[in-house]
Order: sequence, then C-alpha cells, then structure tokens
Amino acid sequence: MHYPSPVNSKLSISVHSQRKSSKDMHAKGIDPTTGFLDRGECLALTTRMAAQATQTGRPLASLWIDLDRLKQVNESFGHLGGDTVIVQIAERLREKSGGRAEWCRMGGDEFVGLATDCDAAHALQLAHDVLQAIETPLRFGEFALHPSASIGVALLEPNEDPFAFLERADRAMSTAKRQGGGRVVASGDEPVPGRLGILLAREELEIENRLHLALENGGLTLHYQPIIGFDGRIEAVEALMRCGASNELIPPGKFIPVAEKTGLVIRLGEWSLLAGARFARDLEDAGRRTKVAINVSRAQLVSPKFTQALHAALLCANVNAELIELELTESLFMDISETVQSNLRAARDAGVGLAIDDFGTGYSCLANLKDIPATKLKLDRAFVTVLPHDRRAFAVVKAMTQLGRELGMTIVAEGVEKIEQLDSLREAGVDAIQGYIHARPMPEEALMNWFHERKAT
Amino acid sequence: MTSAAGSPANPAPSVDALLETSMRDIGIPPRPTILDRIATEMQKDDPDFKRLATIIGADVSLSASLIKTANSPFFGFRSRVRSVSEALMVLGLDVASRAIAGIILRKVFPNSLHLERFWDASARIARLSGWLAQKVTDHKLRPDDAYTFGLFRDCGIPVLLKRFPGYEKVLDQANRETDRSFTAIEDAQIPTNHAMVGCLLAQSWWLPEETCLAIRHHHDANVLETPSISPPLTSRYRIAIAQFAEHLIQRHSGLSHTNEWPKLGPGCLRLLGITEEEVDGVLADAIPVIEAED
Repeated sequence: MHYPSPVNSKLSISVHSQRKSSKDMHAKGIDPTTGFLDRGECLALTTRMAAQATQTGRPLASLWIDLDRLKQVNESFGHLGGDTVIVQIAERLREKSGGRAEWCRMGGDEFVGLATDCDAAHALQLAHDVLQAIETPLRFGEFALHPSASIGVALLEPNEDPFAFLERADRAMSTAKRQGGGRVVASGDEPVPGRLGILLAREELEIENRLHLALENGGLTLHYQPIIGFDGRIEAVEALMRCGASNELIPPGKFIPVAEKTGLVIRLGEWSLLAGARFARDLEDAGRRTKVAINVSRAQLVSPKFTQALHAALLCANVNAELIELELTESLFMDISETVQSNLRAARDAGVGLAIDDFGTGYSCLANLKDIPATKLKLDRAFVTVLPHDRRAFAVVKAMTQLGRELGMTIVAEGVEKIEQLDSLREAGVDAIQGYIHARPMPEEALMNWFHERKAT
Repeated sequence: MTSAAGSPANPAPSVDALLETSMRDIGIPPRPTILDRIATEMQKDDPDFKRLATIIGADVSLSASLIKTANSPFFGFRSRVRSVSEALMVLGLDVASRAIAGIILRKVFPNSLHLERFWDASARIARLSGWLAQKVTDHKLRPDDAYTFGLFRDCGIPVLLKRFPGYEKVLDQANRETDRSFTAIEDAQIPTNHAMVGCLLAQSWWLPEETCLAIRHHHDANVLETPSISPPLTSRYRIAIAQFAEHLIQRHSGLSHTNEWPKLGPGCLRLLGITEEEVDGVLADAIPVIEAED
C-alpha cells in the first residue's frame, strides 16, 4: 500500500529515529512514537506529583486529551499515517505548553498532561491553548487534515487517590466527546442525573435542587402587576412567578431553562394556575372582582392533560372561570398542534380568557390570530419603548390594534414607562396599559394596599 | 385514629379553625399553618423541639394521632412513644411534618360515614405501604414516603365528592371498569379526575414532587414500567407499593371493591421484583400489620 510521504522531513526522521530505538525507549517507560512517557510511567508520575502537590499545597491539574476522528485517518492512510499525525500533535503539545506540563501518551490517540502549580483557571487556559494548537490544519501529503480533540480537565482534590484524579479527567474528556468533540470539559461540569433523573450540568443541578426546595418549602410565590384601562378600570392583574426564599430569589432567566429541561415547568405552571385562581377567588371574596392573568408554558399546552389540570385548578380554587385569563407564551406559536388547539378551545368553553403575550415579535404572526380563540392581545414592549418618536412603530401598533379589535380582542400594551407613550397608545386605540408607569409587580398584600390607596385617591 | 380525629368533645383551636375554613367551601383546603410553623423550625440550625411540641400539644386530637402514628408498626421503634416530644424525636421533623399533614388531611373534610370508611381504608393502605417499603423495596423507598403517599393517594376523591353531586356514580363505574383506566372513566364524565386534583392538592400543601407525581399517575399502567424519566422511579415505587398494599388488604378480607389489580398488578409486581407465587408469603407476614388498629 502506498502512503503519502509526510511533508515535514524532520518529523519523518523523527519517526524513523524513534522507531529505530524503540526497544530501548520502551524499556525506560517512554512512548517510542512521541518520546512522551508511556501509560505505566504516567501513573507513576501522577502518584509522585500528587504526593508533591499534597506536601507543598500547590494545585495540580491533569488534562486528558483524546484526538477526535483519528480512526478515520488510520482507515484512510493506515497506521503509519496515524502515527505521523500523532507525532505532529505531540510536537504541538510540547511547544504550546512550553514547559507548563509533563506529557504522557496513554496509547492510541490519548494523551495526558500534568501541570503542577496550576489552578482551575490556568488549567482551563492551558487546555484551550492546546486545543487551539491541535486544531490548526495539518498537511499530510497533498491532503489537509483538520485535527480536533476532546479534552477533560481535573484538579487534584485534597487526599484524592491519584488514579481517581486521572479518571475524573478521563470522564470529563468522555463528556466532551459525547458533546460532539472539539471542546474542553472540566471535571465536575459533566452532566449528572438530577433528582428527577434528567442529566444536568452542575450549575443546573444546583438550580434544580433549589427548585425542589422551593416546591417543598413554600418557596414559590406570585407577584401581581395591574393592567389598567384608559377608562381607569382595572382590566386584570398579571401573576408573575417568583422562586426561592425572599433573600435569595432565583432569577427567572436561570430557573425557567432548568424547569423546562426537567419537566418541572409543567408543575410550576400548574402551581401558578392554582395559586393564581385562589387569589382571584380571594379578591372576589374581598369584594373585588378582578381578572387574574396566569402565564402558561408551551410544555403545559402541548400536553393532552392540560384541560384536566386547568379544570382541577378551577375546581380546587372554587373560582368563577371568567375571572381567570391564560397568558400564552409566544413560543407556543412555533407549532400550533391539534392538541394545543383543542386545549385552548376547552379553556374558552370553560369561560377562561386567553391572552396572546408579547405579540408582534418572535414567532407570533398574523396567521396565528385566526387559529387561536384569543380574547386579548398584548403588544410586545419592543413597540412601546420606541414610542412616541418612532412613527413607523406607531403605525404598526395602530394597525395591530385595529386588527385585534376586528377580531373582538382587548388590546393591552406592555412595558409602558413614560407619560408620552401613554398619549401615543391612546391615540393608536389601545385599551389598557401594563407597566411601571402604573405599578410594578408586587406581592398579594402590597397589591391589596395598592388597591386601597388607589380607591382613596 | 378515627375516634381521636372525629371526637367533637375536644375541639382544639387549630382543628376548629381548619374545619371552619373548609366549611366556607373554598375548594381544596389550604395548607395547614401548623405545617408552616414546623417548616420554619426545621429551617433553623437548631430546631426547638420543645416549642414545636407545645404548638402541636395544644391540639389534643392531633397530638394523639401523631403519637399513634409514631407507634405504627412500620416505624419499628422498640419502645412505645408516649408524648408529642418523644414522637418528634423518634420520627424526626421531616417525617413528623408529613405525618401531621396526613392527619390533618382527614380532618379538614367534613365528616360523613362514607368518608370515614374512605379515610380508614386510606390509613390502612398507608400503614401497610410503610411496612412493605421496608420489606420489599430493598431501601429504594423510605417507609415514611410510602406511608405519606398512601394517605394522600386518593385525596382528590373527597374533593370531587363535594363538588360533583353525581361523582359517587362515576366512582362506582370506575371501580367496576375492567378494561379502561380508572381516570379515563372519570375524564369521560367530569372535566377532570381525582389523580389530577390530588396532585394539585398535594402540591399546594408543598409535599415532595415525587409524591405529587405519583398521585398524578397512580392509575397509569403504562408509566409503571416504561423506562422513562418522568415520573421518576421513586414515584413509580410509591405507586406500586400502595397498589400492592391495597391488593393484599383486599386479598386478606376477601372483599374487592376495585378492579385495579388486574390492570396494574402485573406491572407493580415486576417493578417490585416479586413473583405471583411469592405474594401469599408476603401476605402471611403482613397480616399483623393489616389487622393492627382496626
């Protein structure tokens, strides 16, 4: 079989010379192809360096590198071809690390680097430097190869067994490989099964734990923001979820993605349904018939169980369905399936109002309006913030308002903060306003006080 | 439990308040405030058991029920518990809190003979579930989790009985159904079902998510063995244990009011790793637990 000869003659000689003395080098624990320490020596070296690190208190890092797709090179060019790649990569590792690490070849296409006096930040920097060096295209005869690698990084923990330390780097590398290769993963960042069995990254795991704590310790609350008509009437209050103890709330931007990933979003949504419905009932008992708008997620609405959950919540709160409004997330409009439509119809049949949230941007489009039996259209804040100066935005708001009207919907503008915006929105024909100009979202008690104060003035 | 719970002679203030709340017909009963007090105490670095014992002790019937629960055979404590403080010590605050939730659950629904029988049956299933969790799940499920699930599994039923006048007939029909799932029969006649209502009630009382999910799915034969992530395995164990407990009780009494075992039993046994031949052996060991406190 013919192999293309490596362009780099130096490397060619290097391969040749190393092969010649392979027996001697192997005997000394040196990998004959790369000149790096071999697997056995690597374990011995790790033990020594770990002992040293423990003694001196200096951090020790290990990098486990596995070349991606080397098998294909071997299949295309034979093992000599593969070896040539290995030699060049080894050269790059040596050069790039510049004495920052001791290198070992674990066999095949796997390398381990051990870096002493190297903390987490430096270890990750080294790993990224090395990855960049590896990914530089490599000429192989007339071919250009694009090598890549998966790199796992671990830091020695106090009293950790040196083998366990290496294994952690290896596991992190496997994760990097599973995620598609060409990346660095630090040990501890690998996904692990969360409480409901779904694989999560460490940070997500922490949030999942806090979500569960919130679900079990009463750490979920709803805050309410009034929506007020131009005629002064309170059109509704929108319920917005807050999660965590009051002194350490988890921002929605953090808990919602984890809730979506773990499926908890459905349960959080159901909790909101019941809590919001109960509040509507409490308001009614207090002589204040006010609609409560509750956000429902896409995950809830695509489920065939949604209608039962909605009815269960209405029944458990013993509330008049007309006092409840569902705010539909705009991501729902990516795909309005038959299940979604039948869930929405059932909600309307029960007497529940439907509001399309953040309308006009993202996935929501005019075509969806005819498929959804909505009763309210909430214009995205993006249109509002540029008012009154942006006349084109004003024209769009006016057109959307007219269209919504024709379809029998109430039109609400979100994110209203300035008086000048109010005038524009009134002129455009908008019915009601939600935003800091009237009130921020507030807990139940504060909202009750707000009602009283408003009445008094 | 029945006499203590139903005794009108000694109405402690908190029970009174709870009953008053439920009488207002505000749907499902809100989470009892005593659970919040326990939760607040639990979150402290050094929970004050004495203070809690005083709070619980103010409610005579609750205290009696808690002591009785702590002496349930499945907890397996050698010496008998005689006071609320002792009950809190041996159960731990976490378990005590759920036991109290279970006790109060029964009290917040208006009493009727029909419901008394229902709660007695739930209590029996809960006790046996707690015992079975130790015997057959190889520590995959904590006995108190199995116990709490047994108490709350069907808590949607009294809610629906209160809200839908014809619900008793729906229940009869669902109990007689041999083919379709229990909840499918409910769904066909009312807009929701007891599993969903129970799940929401449990969630609004801040019970663990695994318990809520188990309540939600306890009539879904296909979730028992589907190697899916939701509901998690610990929820599925809860479902299987309680169903097995119900079956053993029915087998022992010779009275079977439901058709759930033919639909769910094979899956439950496979999940628990028990063969049909072993069932009688388990039943023989379980008889003292089934007959206890009746």
